[in-house]
Amino acid sequence: MASSKLQAFWNHPAGPKTIHFWAPTFKWGISIANIADFAKPPEKISYPQQVAVACTGIVWSRYSMVITPKNWNLFSVNVAMAGTGLYQLSRKIRQDYFSEEKEAAASLEG
Amino acid sequence: MATAFKAFLNSPVGPKTTHFWGPVSNWGFILAGMADMNKPPEMISGRMTAVMCVYSGLFMRFSWVVVPRNIFLLATHASNESVQLYQLSRYARAQGYLQKKEPEAQQ
Repeated sequence: MASSKLQAFWNHPAGPKTIHFWAPTFKWGISIANIADFAKPPEKISYPQQVAVACTGIVWSRYSMVITPKNWNLFSVNVAMAGTGLYQLSRKIRQDYFSEEKEAAASLEG
Repeated sequence: MATAFKAFLNSPVGPKTTHFWGPVSNWGFILAGMADMNKPPEMISGRMTAVMCVYSGLFMRFSWVVVPRNIFLLATHASNESVQLYQLSRYARAQGYLQKKEPEAQQ
């Protein structure tokens, strides 16, 4: 039972012997790299790069639902990209625009 | 001229289809990479840049064999491959990976 399902997957025209499998699968690397970069200080985050990651994630998430057939793997990987990109952007924006006010207020009082 | 433009507009991978606008959004990676070319290399994420190099390499192959063949996607990823490889080389150089002389200096 299980082995025939596995065989069906292995021999699928979009299965692991083909680029149709590995290219979208490897796209997860972008989100994984981004998650690993959550530990980096926000000064090192690149605004243009994270905007690009978030925007492509959002656009492709929508398109993966309007193509035939719907591609849930592509949808989920792009949702993850949009999520990690938006989070990185929020970290950098928080540091650049919101902690400055605190520092400015502290220096005024001090 | 007008007929070539019309052919483009009505192409199966043209601007009336999703096969066009997905790759358009991917140009964000290239523009971001180009904007980052003049920034200090300490800001480059080696991890993300290396992932981008593999990712665009895979999608160049994908765009060639997918049906319908998507040359625009191929061009997009070929461009991203170039930009990301350049950024990777800047990162590697700044980290000291490309120094071959004076191996005793590297501990």
